[in-house]
Amino acid sequence: MSTIVVPRRSLMLGGAAAALMPAMSFAASPDLGKAAPLFTAVDSNGKTWSLADLKGKVVVLETTNHDCPYVRKHYSAKNMQTQQREAAAKGVVWLTLASSATGQEGYVTAQQANELTRSRDAAPAAVLLDPQSKIARAYGATVTPHMYIIDKTGTLVYKGGIDSIPSADIADIAKAKQYVRVGLDEVLAGKPVSDSSTRPYGCSLKYPRTSS
Amino acid sequence: MKRLLALLLVLLAAGPAFGQTVVQTDNVRAELLADVAAVKPGEPFWVGLRQTIRPKWHTYWKNPGESGLPTEIKWTLPEGVKADPIVWPTPHLYDIGGVINYGFQNEAMLLVRITPAADLSGGSLKLAAEANWLVCEDVCIPEDGKFELSLPIAAAATPAAPATRAIFDKARQSVPTESPWPARYGVAKSGDPTLIVEAKGLKPEMVRDVYFFPAEWGPIASMARQTASVGADGIRIPLKRGDAKTALPERLAGTLVLTEKTADGEIRQAFDVSAKLDPAFLPSSSLAAADGNEQLSLVQALLFALLGGLILNLMPCVFPVLAMKAAGFVALAGHERSVMRRDGIAYTAGVLVSFAAMAAIVVVIRSGVGEVNWGFQFQSPVFSLLIAYLFFVVGLNLSGIFEIGGRFAGVGQGLAARGGTTGAFFTGVLAVIVATPCTVPFMAAALGFALSQPAPQTVAVLLALGLGLALPYLVLTTTPALQRLMPRPGPWMDRLRQFLAFPMYASAVWMIWVLTQQTGADGVIYALGGMILIAFAIWLLRIGSGASLATWLRRGLAAAAVLLAFGAALKLEDSPATAASASGPTAGVNFDGWERFSRDRLNQAVAAGKPVFVDFTAAWCITCLVNERVALETPAVRRAFEQAGVVKLKGDWTNRDPEITSSLKELGRAGVPLYLFWGPGAERPRILPQVLTESLILAELSSIEQAKR
Repeated sequence: MSTIVVPRRSLMLGGAAAALMPAMSFAASPDLGKAAPLFTAVDSNGKTWSLADLKGKVVVLETTNHDCPYVRKHYSAKNMQTQQREAAAKGVVWLTLASSATGQEGYVTAQQANELTRSRDAAPAAVLLDPQSKIARAYGATVTPHMYIIDKTGTLVYKGGIDSIPSADIADIAKAKQYVRVGLDEVLAGKPVSDSSTRPYGCSLKYPRTSS
Repeated sequence: MKRLLALLLVLLAAGPAFGQTVVQTDNVRAELLADVAAVKPGEPFWVGLRQTIRPKWHTYWKNPGESGLPTEIKWTLPEGVKADPIVWPTPHLYDIGGVINYGFQNEAMLLVRITPAADLSGGSLKLAAEANWLVCEDVCIPEDGKFELSLPIAAAATPAAPATRAIFDKARQSVPTESPWPARYGVAKSGDPTLIVEAKGLKPEMVRDVYFFPAEWGPIASMARQTASVGADGIRIPLKRGDAKTALPERLAGTLVLTEKTADGEIRQAFDVSAKLDPAFLPSSSLAAADGNEQLSLVQALLFALLGGLILNLMPCVFPVLAMKAAGFVALAGHERSVMRRDGIAYTAGVLVSFAAMAAIVVVIRSGVGEVNWGFQFQSPVFSLLIAYLFFVVGLNLSGIFEIGGRFAGVGQGLAARGGTTGAFFTGVLAVIVATPCTVPFMAAALGFALSQPAPQTVAVLLALGLGLALPYLVLTTTPALQRLMPRPGPWMDRLRQFLAFPMYASAVWMIWVLTQQTGADGVIYALGGMILIAFAIWLLRIGSGASLATWLRRGLAAAAVLLAFGAALKLEDSPATAASASGPTAGVNFDGWERFSRDRLNQAVAAGKPVFVDFTAAWCITCLVNERVALETPAVRRAFEQAGVVKLKGDWTNRDPEITSSLKELGRAGVPLYLFWGPGAERPRILPQVLTESLILAELSSIEQAKR
């Protein structure tokens, strides 16, 4: 005789996780080929940016946390800055997201963000302040750096890692396939992105500790 | 200059020669160990990188989850020496602010099998490794270390020191075993896969956490919560599709971790699963209402429930009740419409009240136990037997063997048979009681939804189900147009009633079949014997009435017969069958090479001074299964058992067996697994641990070998 067995609450792994998750309400990472989640945020210079206003331009999102070894890997090797400059030269809007929650590793004030841009010689169009990790959450970002490309129509066309070798070793950058660079070239050439969803790697994104 | 060069050479040589086996970083102490003290050319051995991790920090599994990186080991080995990939311990899940990580806290031993060349020469084998790992708490630190291990080469391999071997033993224990069950997975329309592990016969109440750790990033999203369900046909885990762009793989690999509740506490078991893509399997998230788009909405569930309730009227288990109802309705034919309407409403009320009561029970049990099986009442053989009796008696009644209202005709039927509104109400109650076993196949979706929802929804869905069940009769009794279709009362009513007895008998037969499923063939004897006794009692009572001694004697005899019939029920409760008769061909316990446990055989073997090993097991006991696979049935252990002349007895507790139950009780145990070992001539057994290893059994057996000498 068959019986139905009811899934038990206790089967949900990690009681604490279960308690936190509803509040965290992770939107599963948005689908490729669909409209990228809209957001409005203030940058480190007080300017307001809205994704809706950027229609007609290709946009790159980069989650960051300057103390994360994987972010440091790409900044100390100048890989990130180089790609930011290349993108800017092609008319791409590169937005760096300071999405570490207030009080967490990688959280920066506007001033600190500007200081980091200066000291690292970075060249994003803007550093958006996301102290409640709202943009990161909307994009299902799990790590720093987690990269996204949005095409001119506002469609999400790439999500994943910055490159193909997940390691903290600078020497690997040269050997890796730079997914974002390749993807941007394809988008600008009007071609579909060949590696459009890759494995992001890095430190856990520092979401707010308590549910908000 | 020459001296300088020599010094340089010495320094260069000294570096590797005194290479370290231990690296201490800020957050991890890592040590490279080998399970041999000397290496034999061509004979594989194991090394392990043992990470002792700063409290609360963790390193990562091969699939690190949504962030992090697995530990890597790069080997530099002499020509012809081969290192296999890391064999990982069972991972744990860590929630880092909502980001799911798979890894290890406190300690992780990463095992690697090394195969030295067969023509290995020289004094020692030098293993050099560069390892790097990411260690995280809230923040992440990449760390690394260089290790070197030098092992002497000898004609025969020598095992490492006992302390080191113990570390390896422990490490092997935490490596997942190959899954004993086949697995498959299907993909729902939404693209989300559902994994089925065909672990048939598990007892859901014995299994706590279930989690599937996918072996790699991509096919499965680690982020999504998993709501696994354990049923009679296995473990079902609805998963969320991951971000990899490629199609889902032909085989989905991963590690299934379950926590089993045993008498002595909880045991975490891990199995490596490789699930084949089953194109024919299109999961709907009906059973385990996972967080997915496919979940039924409340409105849908209510509609399904209503429809399901309607269909229930055609089910074999409800049909007899309906037959009763039809007979009753026929009797009402020609009555006032108001009487009919009242009858219909009372019946509906009976159905709804029963469903509400059931919903209340479900809600209460769920809040207490955390889980409810639909049809749970039918798992009791006593209940099956009583329902079979009830069907039988109602059938006799319809056949006209005795008149309605008979005092001994069973409470439910008695009340149901009572005329008027009360009778109609209890017919409704009866309909619900017998309907529940039928609800399962047809109502799976709606019920699954109901039982997994908060209390108000559970009640709403069950009530909708009840309304559906009552609806046809309600419509019939309240719609004059339909009533006009009813033929005039007449002798055909009696004939119809008598005919309706046959579906009742058929239902009784079906209940007896259910009973045999629960108790084995013995159930038939009790049930049919009980029925004869009941029929006998009815016959006795019908012979005559009055205050004469003979009448009282007959009544006493009838009462005794009925008591005896119900006594059969108690007997069933006492001895729910032997393993062989109950579980039949699906019995999961393998007796190959083992004798069936019995007290007599045990006493005899112990008295004869033979070494005896007793394995109390059950088909639903996961830990038992694992112990058998990793410890009791390995070739080495089988051989050792044979050499030592051990009498191997296996007690199968899949269905409770009184002899085993009492044996367990005597040893102060409430359940399986339990392993006993009597050395030769020993009076008392040694109780072995609940989790066995091969080396533990071998050590136990070698101790008697030594004692012999």
